[in-house]
Amino acid sequence: MPPAVKAKSKQSARAHTKSAALPKRTHKTKFQADLAPSEDHMVRALKAELQMSSNSDFLSDALTLLRWAVSERKRGHRIVSESATGERKVLVFPRLERVAPEVTLPHVDIRWTEKELGSLAELVSGQSAEPTEALIRAMRS
Amino acid sequence: MAVTIRRMEEFDEVANFDCGDEPLNNYLKRHAWTNQQKISIGVTYIAVDESAPSTVLGYFTLATSSVPRERFPKKFVRGLPPYDLPLILLARLAVDRRFSGRGLGHALISEALKITVRVADEVGCRCIVTDAYPDKTGWYARYGFIPVEEAAASGPQKMFLDVRTIRRALSFESSPAEKE
Repeated sequence: MPPAVKAKSKQSARAHTKSAALPKRTHKTKFQADLAPSEDHMVRALKAELQMSSNSDFLSDALTLLRWAVSERKRGHRIVSESATGERKVLVFPRLERVAPEVTLPHVDIRWTEKELGSLAELVSGQSAEPTEALIRAMRS
Repeated sequence: MAVTIRRMEEFDEVANFDCGDEPLNNYLKRHAWTNQQKISIGVTYIAVDESAPSTVLGYFTLATSSVPRERFPKKFVRGLPPYDLPLILLARLAVDRRFSGRGLGHALISEALKITVRVADEVGCRCIVTDAYPDKTGWYARYGFIPVEEAAASGPQKMFLDVRTIRRALSFESSPAEKE
């Protein structure tokens, strides 16, 4: 290997060692949210109830809870609350349902007449139709 | 009303559901849970409101099905892929009549079609079919369902929607009317 390249390599290795020895840079991100008055009131009430003084602690706890809920739903687990008398309520939160496992549907037989099968075959082998406006809206909603 | 659509659970409140059609009411009350959980021939999704998260306002049931290639009439087989035809059956769809006119039907069909695309992405399926009541064929046609030929004069009409059409709908950022 030519000396110049060798020296460069040594320098690079030293630089790498030096950076590895430095303490890891902690980069904090500011999080700002626009809250409706009712949401702001809710945050203040919750902070008071939980005896929290800082928004950072509040956000950190909320994040921990949400992360746990997401991981449970991802595993297909339901999140249930149970009262002292055994009454159960299942948490249904639309955004959480998005991470639930993919659907599995059972298989059934359908009765088809010969003529229906002919028509179905024509529909399947033909060009697909343009989506209607209602269909486009349905897929966007 | 903040509506959520989710899989049916065992203790969901179905007793008061009334869509005005006894077979559809009866299915939800007596068969939907058994068919989903015990004999696994259909999965029912229900619409609930945030304020009463167990009370069913509307529902639909989905299952998969397939048509064996050899069942197609011979003269039509040539244009088909050389396999059985996998499809999704939209077996039931109903809205409680006390909540009709609030867009629940649209929300339910939207979810059913999104599930269809997810299933098509995961395991493959070619189309979704349904047996529509004669007075509801127009409603399904708005979403692009095409009547499959030869329905009984008074009975349900089989209707078909190609998964390719649903996928194309997904690619539209805005509706054609909005684009103009």
